[in-house]
Amino acid sequence: MRKSWLAVVPLAVAVLVSATTASGSRSGSGGLFRLGTASGIDSLNPYVAFNQDAYSAFEYIYPVLVQYDSHLHFAPFFARSWHASKDGRTWTFKTQPHAKWSDGKPLTAADAAWTIDIDLKYANGATANEAGLVSHITNATAPNATTLVVHYKQRPNPAYVLGQFQQFFILPKHVWAQHLGKKGAGLKTFPNNAPVVGSGPFNLVKFQKNQIAIFERNDSYWGPKPKVQEFGLQQFSDDDAMVTALKAHSLDAIETVPATAMKALRQARFVVSDVPGLDQTDFIINSNPKKKHHRELLNLKVKEAFDHAIDRKKIASVVFLGAARPPSSIIPSSTGAWHDPRLEPPSFDIALANKILDKLGYKRGPGGIRVANGTKMSYQVVTPTDVQSIPRAFSIIQTDFAKIGVQLAQKALDSSAAFSLMSGPNNTYQGFDLAMWDWTALIDPDFMLSVVTCDQYGGWSDSGYCNKGYDKMYAQQQLAPTTAKRRALVWKMQAFLYKQRPYLWLSNDDSVDAVSSRWAGFENTAQGPFNELNVQSLTQVHQK
Amino acid sequence: MRGIDYVLKRVGFALVTIFVAVTINFALFRLAPGNAVSNLSRVPHATQQLRHALEVQFGLDKSKGEQYLIYLKQLVHGNLGVSFENEQPVSTNLRIALINTLPMVTLGTLFSILIGTLTGVLAAWRRGTPTEAVTVSSALGFYSMPTHWLGLMLIIIFAGVLPTGGMTNEFLLNPGLWQHLKDLASHIALPSLTLGLVLYGEYTLIVRSAMLETLGEDYILTARAKGLKPWTIVRKHALRNAMLPVTTLVALSLGYIVAGAILIETVFSWPGIGRAVYEAVLERDYPMLQGAFLLLTISVVICNLVADLLYFKLDPRITE
Repeated sequence: MRKSWLAVVPLAVAVLVSATTASGSRSGSGGLFRLGTASGIDSLNPYVAFNQDAYSAFEYIYPVLVQYDSHLHFAPFFARSWHASKDGRTWTFKTQPHAKWSDGKPLTAADAAWTIDIDLKYANGATANEAGLVSHITNATAPNATTLVVHYKQRPNPAYVLGQFQQFFILPKHVWAQHLGKKGAGLKTFPNNAPVVGSGPFNLVKFQKNQIAIFERNDSYWGPKPKVQEFGLQQFSDDDAMVTALKAHSLDAIETVPATAMKALRQARFVVSDVPGLDQTDFIINSNPKKKHHRELLNLKVKEAFDHAIDRKKIASVVFLGAARPPSSIIPSSTGAWHDPRLEPPSFDIALANKILDKLGYKRGPGGIRVANGTKMSYQVVTPTDVQSIPRAFSIIQTDFAKIGVQLAQKALDSSAAFSLMSGPNNTYQGFDLAMWDWTALIDPDFMLSVVTCDQYGGWSDSGYCNKGYDKMYAQQQLAPTTAKRRALVWKMQAFLYKQRPYLWLSNDDSVDAVSSRWAGFENTAQGPFNELNVQSLTQVHQK
Repeated sequence: MRGIDYVLKRVGFALVTIFVAVTINFALFRLAPGNAVSNLSRVPHATQQLRHALEVQFGLDKSKGEQYLIYLKQLVHGNLGVSFENEQPVSTNLRIALINTLPMVTLGTLFSILIGTLTGVLAAWRRGTPTEAVTVSSALGFYSMPTHWLGLMLIIIFAGVLPTGGMTNEFLLNPGLWQHLKDLASHIALPSLTLGLVLYGEYTLIVRSAMLETLGEDYILTARAKGLKPWTIVRKHALRNAMLPVTTLVALSLGYIVAGAILIETVFSWPGIGRAVYEAVLERDYPMLQGAFLLLTISVVICNLVADLLYFKLDPRITE
């Protein structure tokens, strides 16, 4: 009898002591800022990392040549200035003098040149994770400690060059050169454990996967010093638990607020920021030109009819509780000037959709389901289980599609199985008709424009779309001589895809964060407050 | 002699079970739809070559037969391989996750065993009374509650009193041992309590059922007739004889401790083995899955073996 009470003793003790341990107690000049995340850092090795939080962490601990300012224009960072040669094939960056790594070793342009060269050398193997950032480059040199010279095969577009370098983390040669291993394989297995040797505004001093990352102010940082002494990134695998922790002041901010918690947090006097984000949910139509079954889905008129049968306003209000907006293009409006503002979200018009399908001669058969080329317009929609908004968005679309005589059934799979089914054996894209997923764009449009190129079969392509004319435009925008000419091409490509419709865009999700009213300077962006765009947010955050 | 035969047979059976499980572990995850490199190769800065590079690196370009032989060879040398996801040794990943899981799940399981046994005995002894009705219905109630829902309810109830996520308050700077223990106790309370509450109903029902059976035996009647105290009858005569099915259940439960508790670890952001396995399934991280399931297999087999050997000791009929 007595023994059975032993198990409850720790619980009782825990309840009694919890009040003393619920909040952080680190102190120092500027204090500690505690940020909650639902994602987290998956690896501290840039050649292995996958999650956005990992790349955001690298932005704060490694030098980067350029960053975005608050207007999404390129601003100096480790590179204080830059210029291109007359033929545009050689770019020279003047880098920060007298900079140091966190272990006291000098940080020079030679580190940048080494990182570029190592990425090129093992681009087909160990560094393939980062190789897209150095495409078109032949080599890089550092004639002196503050000069980096990068040579290109062809004249690249200036915005493309800076856009790639904005995402390129310079690694300490004296650390990483010791871990090359055979054919660079060691670069991938090097865990890069904390404390990480870096040279950003913060040093990553503690890291426990799936739990915590602690960043400490780097006093030898060559740029403006952060206002807080430390910030911590605590990972939560449940949104509700994270929101509760914020409400209990066990956290100072959370980087992604579930739509259902926005109202409650505002009522609890937290500052909730809601800005257009880079994430867009999509309805994918298998657009593989060699598709064998349901070839009616390649008909642009059918795609147009489907587009008019999607109630985007309802999806934004019901699924996202207003924290989303109807999108119009593969490039979201939050990317600034790269988005073509002339494109409008398609209207929700069931009558028009029916009229288009009637005109095509697709008559309704048993159960009101239309028949196209002798086959019922009844499709399976592949959906990944890890995109939380999809089940509710699907049921809205399913109901409306039934009104135009198109039957949809959901096939939910985890993302690996879903992508495997969609790309099919040998990347033939024969195994699916329709799907739903989401994309997270980058500010530079190159990545999003690439996902519908023929080259991406088996890679990023989830639509099977392949058009040589489009691919030609894609290559041209990388090499356009000026930013204005590149933008014109990027807009032309968006307009082209708008009509081709490999994707029917469903929602452009907002980036929503929440911060305690005790703090100021925490800046939300399209990529969230802890982002890869610049180091503004966590260097400026401070206690009121 | 018969005893040695029995032990040898059980040990041999355990070894065969482990080998079969090793083989199934290898085949099962590869039969599942999806590809180990499809997620890992989809990073924004990657080129098309990444997919092939990963396949070569992970040995997935080799035939399944070759992969199986390499896997067995590594296993014989005690090498569980390298995780596809974070490129670190599987043994290291598992060790970290297991160290995190064991205290939480052990505490929850012990809570459930002790409370479940107590309430099971009480329900049987007070058969037909309101005590039994309350005990059984609350056991059934907790047993049928979805684990994650119960966890969330406890989070809401204890919001601001107990931490809602993580193992410790990582923002504490160099905490002393006592402060660390207090912190750990406050973090472990809710997940362990959730697990304990969900599991204890099972023990209550099984102990009650076993107790009811033994309480109807003639020797209990004899004990009562001899004028023994009720608690003595329960403790010395009824409970001891009801322990056989409970032993099996406890052994199985202890075996599954190393599997963690996926839902609880997810709700409470507990970085344990359950979540590690769940993530490995999503990523098709074959070495991690093989390692985790091997660990689980060995643990369950050993605990079953211990239960078998305990039976040998507890039940003389086995040797007759």
